[in-house]
Amino acid sequence: MSRPPPDPLYILRGSGAPVNTLHFYCGGDGPPLLYSGSGKGAVHVWNLNTRRAEQVLESHNSNSVIWLDTFDGSRSSLISQGRDMRLCLWDLSEGRSAVTDSLLTGAVGFCQCSLLESQPGSSLLAHPTQDMEEVSVVEMKSWTQVCSLRPDTKLGMLMSMKMWQADSGPVLCAGYEDGSIVLWDVSQRHPLSFLKPLPEPVMCLDVHVCSQKGISGSSEKILQSWTVDGQRTLQMHHSVQMTNPGVSQMRIRADGKILATAGWDNNIRVFGWKKLKPLAVLQHHTDAVNSVAFSDHQDPTQRLLAAGSKDQRISVWSIYNVVHRTNIDTREPLAVVEDLLSSSQPEGMGRAAVKGSLAMGI
Amino acid sequence: MGSVETECFLKLQVRSHLRTLSCSQERMELLHALRSLAGLLEDAEFTRTYYARALQVLVAKDWSKRLLHDHDKELERLWREMFLRGPAEPVLMTLLDAISSARCEVDRSSADSAQYREALIGQISALPSITSNQLRANTPEDLLPHRFYTLLAESILETLERTCQALRAGHDCSLSFISQLLGKVCIQGNGGIFGTMAPRLSSLTRVDPLMQRVTQNLLEKVPERCMESVITGLVLSLKGPTAVSRLMGDLVLNNKKAQFVLTHKMLLQQYQHPSLLLKSVLGYLSLDSERRVLLKQVLRSVCQVWCNSSAVKHTCVEQQLYVTRALLLTVALLQNSEVQELRQELVQCMLGGVQCRLDSNIERIRRMGMVVGECLSQKLDTPGSQLQFQYESNEEIQELRSLMEYQAVEGEEPESDASNNLQPIVEASEVCAVPSQSITSLPVNDSDSELDSDDDLTPFDMSADQEKRISAPPRYVRDCLEGLMSEDAERFELSLQVAASLLRKNVTTTQEVSVQFCRVLLHLEDRYNTTLFLSLRQNAMVALTVTHVKPVVDYWTTEFFSLNYSLRQRLDILEVLALSAQELSEPIRSKQAAAQPIPEVVPPEQFDDITHWRHIVEKRIQSKTRRIGKGVTQPVKAAPNRFAPVAGCFFFPLLKNYDRPQTTFDLLGSDHLVLGRLLHTLGLLMHLAVNAPVASQMGRALLDFIWAVRFHTDQMVRRGVLFAVCSVFLGMHSENLLTDLGEDLMEARAWLADVAESDCDSDCRSLAMQSLVLLDRTLKAQLKIPEMKT
Repeated sequence: MSRPPPDPLYILRGSGAPVNTLHFYCGGDGPPLLYSGSGKGAVHVWNLNTRRAEQVLESHNSNSVIWLDTFDGSRSSLISQGRDMRLCLWDLSEGRSAVTDSLLTGAVGFCQCSLLESQPGSSLLAHPTQDMEEVSVVEMKSWTQVCSLRPDTKLGMLMSMKMWQADSGPVLCAGYEDGSIVLWDVSQRHPLSFLKPLPEPVMCLDVHVCSQKGISGSSEKILQSWTVDGQRTLQMHHSVQMTNPGVSQMRIRADGKILATAGWDNNIRVFGWKKLKPLAVLQHHTDAVNSVAFSDHQDPTQRLLAAGSKDQRISVWSIYNVVHRTNIDTREPLAVVEDLLSSSQPEGMGRAAVKGSLAMGI
Repeated sequence: MGSVETECFLKLQVRSHLRTLSCSQERMELLHALRSLAGLLEDAEFTRTYYARALQVLVAKDWSKRLLHDHDKELERLWREMFLRGPAEPVLMTLLDAISSARCEVDRSSADSAQYREALIGQISALPSITSNQLRANTPEDLLPHRFYTLLAESILETLERTCQALRAGHDCSLSFISQLLGKVCIQGNGGIFGTMAPRLSSLTRVDPLMQRVTQNLLEKVPERCMESVITGLVLSLKGPTAVSRLMGDLVLNNKKAQFVLTHKMLLQQYQHPSLLLKSVLGYLSLDSERRVLLKQVLRSVCQVWCNSSAVKHTCVEQQLYVTRALLLTVALLQNSEVQELRQELVQCMLGGVQCRLDSNIERIRRMGMVVGECLSQKLDTPGSQLQFQYESNEEIQELRSLMEYQAVEGEEPESDASNNLQPIVEASEVCAVPSQSITSLPVNDSDSELDSDDDLTPFDMSADQEKRISAPPRYVRDCLEGLMSEDAERFELSLQVAASLLRKNVTTTQEVSVQFCRVLLHLEDRYNTTLFLSLRQNAMVALTVTHVKPVVDYWTTEFFSLNYSLRQRLDILEVLALSAQELSEPIRSKQAAAQPIPEVVPPEQFDDITHWRHIVEKRIQSKTRRIGKGVTQPVKAAPNRFAPVAGCFFFPLLKNYDRPQTTFDLLGSDHLVLGRLLHTLGLLMHLAVNAPVASQMGRALLDFIWAVRFHTDQMVRRGVLFAVCSVFLGMHSENLLTDLGEDLMEARAWLADVAESDCDSDCRSLAMQSLVLLDRTLKAQLKIPEMKT
C-alpha cells in the first residue's frame, strides 16, 4: 500500500485576507524568510525559524497585492505589484519599511510581472501595461523601456508570463487569453514561436530553464507541458489530467524534479516533472489555493513548499526533499540507527530527523 | 393329376419321418429320417408346407437333450443342416417360438398371409427382448438392444442398396416389408435406429437419385400408425432441411398422417425437441414451391396459437418458447412477397401476442414477447413504426434473435469425413502458434523511458483525490429532509446519500419527523439520475422503519391500500416492510466485531519508500511469539427478537383491505403483480415471525386469505400463494397447526396435491411438493404415526 500523503510541516496564520502570492528568500545571513501578499494590500514577512510575521507592510492603498519578488540579491529589496496599477520598490533594511520608488503601469488585469537579473546591478522587468495585450520590458533602475512586445494577431488579454536569460539574450514566454503561448526574443523584439496547447485562457505557466521545458495550466482539468528546442520553437510534450479543474499557479522546483500546482479545488498537487506522473495530492486548505512557491534554500533537504490560499492561511510542506543515498547500507536497520545515534550529530538536526533520513536511505 | 399323387406321397413320407423323429430313440432310424428330410429341402412344396412342422419337431425338448448328452457328431450335423439350409423365415419363427414358448396361433401353411408377416415383423423387432427374457445376464452382445438395432439398421441399408441394384437390373421390388419393419421398430421406441441409418442414407441420396426414390417409397409405405415415430426419429437424426427433403421428397403432400405430424403435432403439440428439429422441419417445408403452401398454412396456425392469450396463461414457459421459436423460424423462411400476402395475419398475431405477453408477470415470457415484437415488426418493415423495447439481452434472447437469420439452404451438413474434419484443426493450431512467437520476438524498445522517468519518486496515496463537491452533505435530520425536497440537484443527491446513516444515528430527531420523512421518501422521484437512487431510497426507508417502528409501519400499511399510488410505490412499500422485518428479527451485532481496527498513527518523518524498521522488527517478534491467552471466543449472547412484539403491526393491516377495489387499485383484478408480491411479503413476514406468540394467529389469518386467491390464473400469484403456505407450515408450531387449522389442513392437503400434479408452472409444482412434504412431516410428528420400517 502506498503511504498516506504527508501533513503540512506548519501553518502560518494571521494574514487576515486571502493570500495571493508567495516568495521565499533564504539567501544571505539571517533566518529564511517568506514574503506573502494578501488580498487587502498587506505584505507579510514571515520568519521561518520563529514562524511568526516579522513585519507587515501596508501598501497599494489596501488593494490586492498580486506579485512579490526580491531583487539585487538582498533580503531587504522587495518589489510588489498591486491591483492599484502600481509597482512599488521597498527598502526593508534595518527595520525600515519605506517605498523607495513606484511605477504606474496602468495594467488592470491579474497578470504577474516577471523579473530577470541579467547581470548584478541591472535587472529587467517585464510588466503588463494599460494595453491589455502588450508586455513592456523596462530596465529596473531607470524605468527606461527596453522594448514593448505586442502580438500581430489578436490573442486577447495577456494572462501570465515568465522571462529568463537564454544563451542569445533574454527570452520571454507569455500566455494569452485564447490559450496560446508565445515565445518572444526580447532583444530582437519579435516572436520566436507560437503554440496553442489549450483552448482556455492560460491561467499560469512556468518554465524550467535547465530542462528547456515549460508547462501551462488553465481553468480546465488538463495540464500541458511543452519543450523549447534548439531553434527556440515550442513543441507539445506531455499532458496530464487532474481530477478537478482549475489551476491558479504552478511552480517547478529548482532541481527540476517536481512540479506543484495550486488548484481551485483546495488541493495542492505534486507531479514528477519529467513525465508529469502524479505523485501527491496535499489536502489542507478549505478554499481555493492561490499560490505555490518553492524555497531556494542552499541545503536541498530544507527546501520547503509553501501554498497560500483564499482561506487566509499559508501551509508549509516538506516533500520529496531527501537526497537518495547511492550506497545502501546492508546492515540491519536497527543497528545503523543505533550507530548513528551514538555518534556525533550534525548541528541543528534532531534525533528524529536523523532517524527519518536514515530510514529513507535504507 | 400326377401332382396330387406326388403331394400325397410327400405327405405320407414326411409324416412317417416326423413320427420317427419325435418318437424314436434308435440312432439309425433318426439318422435316416433326418437325411431324407434334408434331401427334401430342395423341394419347394416341402419347404412351403411341411418345413415349419418339421422344424417344430426338431426343436422339441427330447432333441435338445439328445444333442446335449449324446455328443453324436453326425446327428448334430444333420440337425444343423435342417435349420441352416432351409428358408430363413420359418426357421426364425420356430426358434423364437421355442425360445419364448408362447406360440402364436398363426396359420403356418400360408407364409405370405398378412397375419404371418405381422407376427414375423413383431418377432424380429422384439428379438432383443425375447432373447434377454430367457437368457437374462447371459445375453450375447449382438442381441443387446443397441448392438442389435445397429445391426438391423445395417441390414436394412444393405437391403435398400440391393433394391437399387435390382431396380437398375429391371426387376420389380416391394419395400412394404422393410417399411413395416421400420415402423414397428420405431413405434416400439427404438427411433435410435436412424442414428445409424440417417447419415448413410443422407450421403447415398446425395449422389444417387434412384436411392432418393427408394427411400421416399420406403417412407410412404410405412403404416399410418407408425408414421409419427418414424418421421420423428428420422428428422431428429438428420442434420439440415436439405437432407430431410432428399429423403422424404413430397411425403408431406401425399401422406395425410405425415402432414399432420410435420405441420401440426411436432410444431404445436410437442415441445421437447431441439430447435434443430424445428429448423429441419420448417426448412423442409420451405424448400419446394408446393410445400411452401403448407409453410404458409403452418404460419397461420402458429400465429393463432402464439397470440392466444389463454395459451399464454395456461401453457408452460418451455412450450411457449418452442412455439416462439417455430414462429420466428417460419417468419424467417418466408419470402418478401409471402410476407406481404400474410401481412394481415402477422400484424394481428404480433399485436395480440405481444400485448398479452407484456401483461404477464413472468419476465421470461415478457422478454419473449418483446423479441418477437421486434423481429416481426422488422420483417414487416413498416417504415417509422418498428417496435423497440428495452430489455437486457441474455442467451435465450440471442438464440431467438439468431433464428431470424436462418436460411434453409445454409443448413447443408458437411460430409462426415474424418480427414475433412482433421484438416482445419491442424490449420487452427498453426495459426495459434504464430502470434505467440511474434510476441516473444518483439524487440524491447523502451530504452528512452529508463533515462526519463519519475520512478525515483514514489507517489503518495492519492485515493482521497475525488471530484470536488460544491455543497456539503447535511448534518441534521431536518436539513436532510429539506435537502430531499429542494430543487438543487447536488444538495438532493448528498441528502439522499447520507439519509440512512443520519436517521439511524439521530434516533430522537428521527422519531419526531418519521412519518413526514416517510411521505417524502415514498414520493421521491429520480429527477437527477442519481446513481444507486433506488437502493439509497430504500435504505433510508428501512432505516426509518427500524428506528420508529409503530407509526411508520402504520403509515406504510395504510398507504399501501390508499388511492393514487403507482404500482412501483406499492411494491416499494412491500419491499421496505419485508426488509425492515428482516432487520428487526436479526439480533443486534456487537459493535466491536463490526468496527475496523484503527490504523496506528505514525509520525510523518518515519515514512518513506520502505516500511519503517520498527514495523519490520515488530513483525518478526509477532511471527515468533506464541500467545496462549488469545484463544477464548466470546459465547453467543441471547438477545430479544425485536420483530416478535411488532409482527402483528406489520402483518394484519396488510390483510385488511384487499377486497375493496379502489378506482386506481384493484388488487384482485388487474393488479395481480402487486397481489403476487403481497402474498410473498406476507409469507416472508410469517416466516420471520417464527416462534413469536402471534405466529399461530398470523398463520390462520394467512391461510384464510390464501383460500380466496388460491386458484388465481396468474402464475406469480400462485407462486406467492404456495410460498405463503410453505411459510405457514414452517412458521407455526405443529400442535398449533393441528388444533387451530384441523379441518382446513385436510382441504389444503388435497388442494396442494392437485397443484403438485397438474399445475402448468413447474415452480408452482415444486413449491406445492415442498409444502406437501412439510405438511406431512408436521402431521406425522404430531399424530405420532410410527415410521414404516424399511
